[in-house]
Amino acid sequence: MAIGRPLNRVEAREKVTGAARYTADARLPGMVYAALVGSAVSAGRVRAIDTTRAEAAPGVLAVLTHLNRPQWHGTPDALRYQETRFPLADEHIHHHGQYLAMVVAGTREQAAHAADLVAVDYETRPAVPTLDAALPDAHQPVWRFEPEFPTLLAIGDPEAMLAAADVRIEREYRTPYYSHAPMEPHATLAHWAGGSLTVYTTSQHVHGDRPVIAGALGVPPDRVRVISSLVGGAFGNKTAVWGPTLLAAVAARQVGRPVQLVVTRKQVFTCHGHQPPILQRLRVGANRDGTLQAIVHHTVNGTPVLFDRPEGAISPTGTVYALRSVGVRVEVARMHMPTPATMRTPGDGPGMFAVGSALDELSYELGIDPVELRRRNHLAAHPLERKPWSGKQLLECYDEGARRFGWERRAPRPRMMRDGGDWVGFGMSSAQRLEHHGPARAVVEIRDDGTAEVRTSTQEIGTGNLTTLTQVAAGGTGIEPDRIGFRSGDTTLPESSPTYGSRTTGSTGTAVHLAALRARQVAARLAIADARSPLHGLPEERIGAAHGRLYDVDAPRRGETYRELLRRNGRRSIVEQGFHDLAGRDPRFSYATFGAHFTEVRIDDTLRRVRVTRHVGVFAVGRVLNPKTARNQAQGGIVYALGGALMEELTADPVTGRFIAPALTDYHVPVNADVGEIDVSFVEEPDYGAHPLGAKGLGEVVAVGVHASIANAVYHAIGIRVRDLPITPDKLVAGPR
Amino acid sequence: MDTFDYRRPASVREALRLVAGHPDAAFVAGGTDLVTLLRDRVRTPGRLVDINGLPLDGLRWSRDGVRIGALCRNAVDDPRLAAAYPVLVRALRSGASPQIRNRATFGGNLLQGVRCPYFRLPEFACNRRDPGAGCAAAGGDGRLLGIFGTSAACVAVHPSDCAVALVALDATVVVEGTRGTRRIPVGDLHRLPGDTPHEEHALRPGELVVAVEVPARPFAARSTYVKFRERASYAFALASAAVAVHSEHGVVRDARICLGGVAPKPWRAHAAERALRGERLDAATVEAAAEAATAGARPRPDNAYKVELVRGVVRRALTELGEK
Ligand SMILES: Cc1cc2nc3c(=O)[nH]c(=O)nc-3n(C[C@H](O)[C@H](O)[C@H](O)COP(=O)(O)OP(=O)(O)OC[C@H]3O[C@@H](n4cnc5c(N)ncnc54)[C@H](O)[C@@H]3O)c2cc1C
Ligand code: SF4
Repeated sequence: MAIGRPLNRVEAREKVTGAARYTADARLPGMVYAALVGSAVSAGRVRAIDTTRAEAAPGVLAVLTHLNRPQWHGTPDALRYQETRFPLADEHIHHHGQYLAMVVAGTREQAAHAADLVAVDYETRPAVPTLDAALPDAHQPVWRFEPEFPTLLAIGDPEAMLAAADVRIEREYRTPYYSHAPMEPHATLAHWAGGSLTVYTTSQHVHGDRPVIAGALGVPPDRVRVISSLVGGAFGNKTAVWGPTLLAAVAARQVGRPVQLVVTRKQVFTCHGHQPPILQRLRVGANRDGTLQAIVHHTVNGTPVLFDRPEGAISPTGTVYALRSVGVRVEVARMHMPTPATMRTPGDGPGMFAVGSALDELSYELGIDPVELRRRNHLAAHPLERKPWSGKQLLECYDEGARRFGWERRAPRPRMMRDGGDWVGFGMSSAQRLEHHGPARAVVEIRDDGTAEVRTSTQEIGTGNLTTLTQVAAGGTGIEPDRIGFRSGDTTLPESSPTYGSRTTGSTGTAVHLAALRARQVAARLAIADARSPLHGLPEERIGAAHGRLYDVDAPRRGETYRELLRRNGRRSIVEQGFHDLAGRDPRFSYATFGAHFTEVRIDDTLRRVRVTRHVGVFAVGRVLNPKTARNQAQGGIVYALGGALMEELTADPVTGRFIAPALTDYHVPVNADVGEIDVSFVEEPDYGAHPLGAKGLGEVVAVGVHASIANAVYHAIGIRVRDLPITPDKLVAGPR
Repeated sequence: MDTFDYRRPASVREALRLVAGHPDAAFVAGGTDLVTLLRDRVRTPGRLVDINGLPLDGLRWSRDGVRIGALCRNAVDDPRLAAAYPVLVRALRSGASPQIRNRATFGGNLLQGVRCPYFRLPEFACNRRDPGAGCAAAGGDGRLLGIFGTSAACVAVHPSDCAVALVALDATVVVEGTRGTRRIPVGDLHRLPGDTPHEEHALRPGELVVAVEVPARPFAARSTYVKFRERASYAFALASAAVAVHSEHGVVRDARICLGGVAPKPWRAHAAERALRGERLDAATVEAAAEAATAGARPRPDNAYKVELVRGVVRRALTELGEK
């Protein structure tokens, strides 16, 4: 059985040997290069822009600005295109780094050099640089995703319940600007031939990008092909199209040659998304026995000046714990900031930091163990959908996590655990993420040489999806994974679900599964109908498949390979489609993935920096397709959130709002030495209600709750409650010694 | 990046000749710092003189100590160096990453630019980059900035770990110019900003660092480097201490305490050294020295935490040496 095996990644060898081809590695004959000029000011207007020196520089083929750019078509939607304004739209400047000009030249260096020669005369206006400065503007967003992602909601009468509760806490939590900081910068290579456009680009959704690119350029979508080979990390900032992709296409049309545009590292940090700062005010009321009575959760996040973009940090508030009443309100406040982008664990990441911290604070108020407090508020059904959860093994996750971690050794109060010069602290949090899914198509082809191929447009963004989907196809066809090829990342292929929102396993996986089963079924029927086949005349349900061979399940020696069957029948291949649609899941249930985190931190009392020495994560995500890629994803997710908890912050200048750490040197992500022992396990129970494969999304739930688990451990260790992330050393020097 | 004229001389004399009379010329060694400054147009030299072809690498030992060539790499792995000057090797090891240390040189390390984010982003005003332009850090984010020796014109800190250790070891840089050879104590190499933060160091135009001389001192072998930073490795110091102690019969005769990450140059904590001399290295002395190390600190609200870090790194380093 291929599913459930710890297979190595199918692209591992290429990645390790450097043979793997990323978008910026694509080459076409005659290609030339573009570079972008970003705004030096955060707000204002281009009074004049002088491109004469740039145009005269060696190798320069074109310089485009708002004054001479070709006309854009249509209006951007801030959904599949990241913003509401196309690049180089006009002279107005809404954020620092905003692209003001593009240079096209014979080499990358010539383009970069000429870009430096573009002289901009600015009319500068004062910027709204910080969330605090923006707070007076806080307002209810205009937002098209109500009610699926609500910004205002009340269940019961939270104010009255709060007032009546035995214990109340009221706290404010903050998260900073976070950068997605993918290693791979955004890259595009655009090429026109006879009115058709091919775009190689870094994308989490090629089929989503195609209509945007076609629309903006005024060409029919079927004349645009989007290709995204391996993606070198995205974390959400390649979910939709950014300006440079369109600019590369425009440039290629203008100069009549393929144009490559790879943004600089600084531009990755400034103009390709981030999570904006979020302020969360939580009021929690509970009775002495720990039962939650009410949570009122009010958030304000920074939004770009041109449109409202709420962060759904209230997402866990009403759906994680049993509550008698809930009130949530999401507001946004305009700042002169570059455009944000959805970031891995949108809403749940920051939201669970606040809710998970508040629950911890409550546990000390009540004198109830944090795990016990969560148990007492276990939620059996989705409160809005009013349906029971399918596959909720959260209580088992708590048990298993507490056991593996040794939670019983936890001292009941902070500052009670010491090891030499170190304070030691234990913390925990729940994890939950609603299971999203979307339509997906895939094709599986079984060939007369005994191999098979999966074709679906999904992108490999580093999660291991090509491997797990290959295993799914192997499971369906009975052909060994190493005999199965994969074609992905191309709009000429059937449309998968996008590679964000943890949808690949459930949605695309189901499509591949169905396609594989169909292909096998067609082959089985061919054998049954074929008088020369050893399986001739058998009932269909007696035909099994394994090792590239169809056989009689009652007499496994009786059978033949796909190869023999197809060759004898003169069939080159069998090609079948699989389609996953939204009606696919059992409507009686609500769906989510669940987990529990347990963290041990150590803090040297003399030099206080938080070290995460042990972390235990236990997850309930249905069936695990590949324990190796699953563990890898979980570890990666935990390390990712550890960075956000302890060190990541895209610091902004308090006067101009400009990011002052736009480089990996200064934007600190964890290094190996920062990562202690991470223990990942699964409470594995297939959730067939969710998907026929029984598998659910994994890539995000693993990171939800880690921030709170760490912050809670820090408090337990040293008695300092840090409510504004990241927990850097400067926040620990004060306080008792 | 701007265009420049690139030269690769084969001798020191030729190198000096190539920069003489070219005020906009710059030497490049490992390039790990200068190239990023060129890329970001913080530095825009018209001529780049690549000194990697000069015979300036390697260590030369003598009775007086060791002479380290300016092109010796920061990855230098020499057991004798580690035994004679633990503080230096620890400081080097604590810096950057293995890849960068393989490339970075002693000369370049000492003369690397400050990491003040406003200095490195030309969109901001910076007196150090553009004399008289103003200092954006003054009203900006100051968490990484200095608490000692800063001025109204500039509050940046010198980022080198190696330099801090070298000051604690009483080391000297040897420089060559068209007018001959000079020796400058590493402690005098970097200038305090005063009103002229752009005058970063004591080299005259066209002078080349050829070596660093580290003397044999009684305290050198009993020395250590403690660096505190935001993550476990691969980050500049928030605060660091290079400490060397010489004791006789359990009493401290001589000591060096030099701080990094907190001042525009490696910061000798003279008061802390005084607190050690004539004392036993016990807990009370360590505490007194740690406290004395903060004398003269002038933090702002956002970097006041560094005062506590200074106490911490000094306390940790002295405690470690006390246990030896
Ligand atoms: C990501 C990163 C992290 C880092 N972390 C640390 C750290 O933790 N601790 C630390 O101490 N450093 C750190 N550094 C800085 C690093 O140590 C320096 O970049 C390096 O030492 C510079 O040496 P180089 O030979 O590459 O100098 P170059 O970049 O070649 O030159 C730097 C400067 O020195 C001048 N110069 C070089 N050699 C001579 C000479 N012989 N005579 C006269 N002038 C000369 C050049 O003109 C230039 O101005 C880090 C750097 C990076 C990029
Ligand atoms: S502190 Fe110094 S280096 Fe930083 S901006 Fe001010 S003058 Fe420039």
